[in-house]
Amino acid sequence: MTHQHNKAVFDRRQILRGAAILGAGAAAAACAGPGTVRGGSRGPASQASAPAPIGTAKVSGDLSFAHWRAEDKAVFDKIIGDFAKANPGATVRQDISPSNDYQSTALQKIKGGAIGDAFTAFRGAQFVDMAKAGLFLDLSAQTFADSYLPKMARGGKDVNGRQLGLPYQLVFNMPIFNVDLFEKAGVSETPRDWDGFLDLCERLKGRGVVPLAWPGGEPANAGQLFNSMVMNNQPSDTSCADIESGKANVTDDWFLATLRQYAQLRPYVEPNATGTASEPLQQMFATGKAAMLATGSFHMSPIRKLGAKFPIDLIAPITVAADNAKYVGIHNATFILGVNAASKKQEAALRFLDFLSTPEVASVYANGTGQHLTLTGVEYTNRDLKATEPWLTKNTLLAPRFQFNDLDLRAAVENACTEVLGGKEPEQAAEAAQRIVAQRRRS
Amino acid sequence: MLYNLTRRGVLFVYALLVIVPLVVVVAGSFKSTPELFASPFGPPSSLDAKNYATVLGGEGLGLAFRNSAIVTGLSVPLTLFIGSLASYGISRIPGWRGGLIFGFLVLGMAVPAQANMIPQYVLFDLLGLTNSLVGLVLINIVVTLPIAVFIMTGFLKTLPREMYEATAIDGSGPWRTYRSIVLPLSVPSLAATAIFLFVMHWNDLLYPLLFIQEPAKQTLPVALLSFQGEFLTDFPLLFTGVVVASAPIVIAYVFLQRYFVAGITAGSVKG
Amino acid sequence: MTLTPQATQTRPDEVDQTGRAPRARAGLGRRRPSRINRPHPALFLFPLPALALYIVFFAMPTFEAVRYAITDWDGFSPDYNNVGLSNFTTIATADNLFRNALFNNIKFMLVVVVFQTLLSLVLAVFLVKNTRSSVFLRSVYFFPTILSSVSVAFIWKFVYDPNYGLANTVLGAVGLDGLQSAFLGDDSKAIYFVAATQVWFHVGQMMVIYVAGLQQIPAELYESAEVDGATRWQLFRHVTWPMVAPATAIVIAYTTVQSFKAFDLILGLGGNPPKPSLDILSTRIYAGFANSEFGYAAAESIVFMFVIALVTWLQRRAVRVSQGSA
Repeated sequence: MTHQHNKAVFDRRQILRGAAILGAGAAAAACAGPGTVRGGSRGPASQASAPAPIGTAKVSGDLSFAHWRAEDKAVFDKIIGDFAKANPGATVRQDISPSNDYQSTALQKIKGGAIGDAFTAFRGAQFVDMAKAGLFLDLSAQTFADSYLPKMARGGKDVNGRQLGLPYQLVFNMPIFNVDLFEKAGVSETPRDWDGFLDLCERLKGRGVVPLAWPGGEPANAGQLFNSMVMNNQPSDTSCADIESGKANVTDDWFLATLRQYAQLRPYVEPNATGTASEPLQQMFATGKAAMLATGSFHMSPIRKLGAKFPIDLIAPITVAADNAKYVGIHNATFILGVNAASKKQEAALRFLDFLSTPEVASVYANGTGQHLTLTGVEYTNRDLKATEPWLTKNTLLAPRFQFNDLDLRAAVENACTEVLGGKEPEQAAEAAQRIVAQRRRS
Repeated sequence: MLYNLTRRGVLFVYALLVIVPLVVVVAGSFKSTPELFASPFGPPSSLDAKNYATVLGGEGLGLAFRNSAIVTGLSVPLTLFIGSLASYGISRIPGWRGGLIFGFLVLGMAVPAQANMIPQYVLFDLLGLTNSLVGLVLINIVVTLPIAVFIMTGFLKTLPREMYEATAIDGSGPWRTYRSIVLPLSVPSLAATAIFLFVMHWNDLLYPLLFIQEPAKQTLPVALLSFQGEFLTDFPLLFTGVVVASAPIVIAYVFLQRYFVAGITAGSVKG
Repeated sequence: MTLTPQATQTRPDEVDQTGRAPRARAGLGRRRPSRINRPHPALFLFPLPALALYIVFFAMPTFEAVRYAITDWDGFSPDYNNVGLSNFTTIATADNLFRNALFNNIKFMLVVVVFQTLLSLVLAVFLVKNTRSSVFLRSVYFFPTILSSVSVAFIWKFVYDPNYGLANTVLGAVGLDGLQSAFLGDDSKAIYFVAATQVWFHVGQMMVIYVAGLQQIPAELYESAEVDGATRWQLFRHVTWPMVAPATAIVIAYTTVQSFKAFDLILGLGGNPPKPSLDILSTRIYAGFANSEFGYAAAESIVFMFVIALVTWLQRRAVRVSQGSA
């Protein structure tokens, strides 16, 4: 039929034209040498000395505070209200992006200066990239930086030791557990070694609850357990960074041993664990059907909102013998506060950060959102924060999974663990992961 | 007979597949999170409209709704207009030139948004069009022109040549032909394209997410995302947002569909 | 009444003013070049607004991206190196993640195209009459398209949850326990479940196109075939199927491109970045940006575009071959 034939002619031509155009474009592009980048006129991170500390003068102006925690909006609104009262004429607008998108696009948006006079960064890859891009104003000389626990503040320093950001939140990326269920299972103190942990799981299983609810269906949260599983197995505290740099491999003995321990957990996670996300598991935990939730302290507050009344505490599986255990838990200092070096309202932004760093305001934030903070002098009135306060001084390791700067590499390593828990053979999973790790290393 | 049975069976099962999840969503908007998980299918224990108050209230979707309406209300007609002009030109320019323009425009369909989103962001930033609804309208038009042209040219090609030749003899120029003959005849394809564009523009997530920084200028899909926090999703609240966001479009579709069907039967050219 | 090919015969009213007969047709189906068919100059103005917008805001940024594909730019540093074609060679030979995403995408696309096309056609055929029940059902089936991808992802995340979700609950209730599964947790099948969601999402849209196409088929064609004693299947195969060929072409092409771009749905169901069983090309590229590998991601986009073009072209050939027999 005529129509069909005309169309046929069209298509061949259309493809050829398209190819020609693309080809011409590519040729033209190839002729352009390496060169300038339009837009980002910001040079490498300035080497000038840090700006002088702000005084106590009141500030005014409209600030943009960019972050990703939608669940904190209400608390921040209150804090901003107080800030505005203390600084008449100052307003702060929260520019919140969903956390995954914040990770991917915040750098570009903040670099342009449209948002984020004050902003936050995830610990790890995002902080490193933003530092490289020169986003941060050097805070080394600011007095409010002294309010932060030095151990925690380290997470905001760049390779040259300059304090570019201040990690605000302190989370414990280790499983939370239902204290009542443990007691009912006859366990009065948390196990100190691997056999003890497995025994605990057996007992809980015997009582008809899911011992360890693990969100295998959600890569972001499935990897939280990774932290506890490697903290004592790894030969050095920087083993994850070593995997990324090539000094260590996923196929090393210690990692294979970790994978085998994952395999031993298979009977103790909920059925179809690899397909489960964290919300249903929060439900399971809150209603007492699961004894442990393999995510972190950040879920304590949501669990309470779901109506759970039992006491909650933190636990980390100790994967080695009791006296070989270097660490008893995992912490992470994240939500790194920073001031935009390109901002025209730096003084106001600094004042805002200063405000957030005062013990009174920090306490409001901590108790309102159910999180620990990295500041000294914070008063925890929230029931769960008080119960887990001892962990602030215990021997915990900074979460190793955030040593990975390459997100694909991290995903590959954590995915090996997920697959093993799901039934794959440790050696196979390690090999598959190693292939990807090797490929990603070249970049 | 077998055919009727099969027909009813398929229609019934598929209708269930569509309706059941949606009923769960609507019912879920009245439940609390524990209740939702405990009995997803059951009716809500109380018609507590607390979630609706949150969603429709000051912090809720009202503003985002208005923004979506403005952006879509502008970008759909503009895309239709510019696209139909182009389609008409393409279908009437004979030989390789028409094919070239068609191919060039339609090739855009194959380009993933991820490929040029960063250069586009930089360009829009340069022009001061980021964080503005006008910028969104513009990028919507540009990104959906390929598919609009594709569909409309496809339909225009089915119009018989005698019609054009008859008008050419009349002496009317292409603009007259377009306005008085082609446009009325292409109402079905315009309507079909309009529905496509409407849905695409209304639900676009990537560009509003990328371009809009101020919450006051967010569109609906982005606002919906804010119901998902870093570690917790409030499903009932999210479902409420879904219901509120969708209800008007459904109503619009029901009415639009009437016109659409009428347009087809009234405007088709019999062979 | 069958459709006659256009302009098979010289018609008296097409003899032009000088009295000369138009030049003979050059081959099958080609338009007769004659003065009447020469384009009016104003016609070139019609595509102009579209082209102007498109070139400035679409084509140029795409070329920018192409330009970066031969560099190792990370997306924010002020300088970068020209690495020639090494990004492309890496993609072709040393990137398991890309290859995995490619295979996932192809599996996804095939399932979606086949099932979405067939189901939308079947539904359109069942509901082609404009009775009240048909119009109502059409609205029902169209409804999912209206939802935003975020909504659909969350709904189906809830459906597919193995412990509380609708799917396993329903399967258990009707006694099909054997079919219960981890759904998205099943590495080998996860992509197919997402494909099912995609079909659910867009089948209504394609059905609308098919209904439009079906309603343009003249009733006389069916009547005369029925008089000849054709069965329902024969009617479909020899009247309906060839006559909706343009609609089929549109549906298949659009569904293909749509399935290559199914970005929000994958992120919603598979996480950001998605787990390997659900990673597709568009999410792979996005992950490249998130990883500050803009040059490499740009190179991946180029490959992506070629894959889409290739697949679309192959499909059009396949459709044409199947139409050729009609």
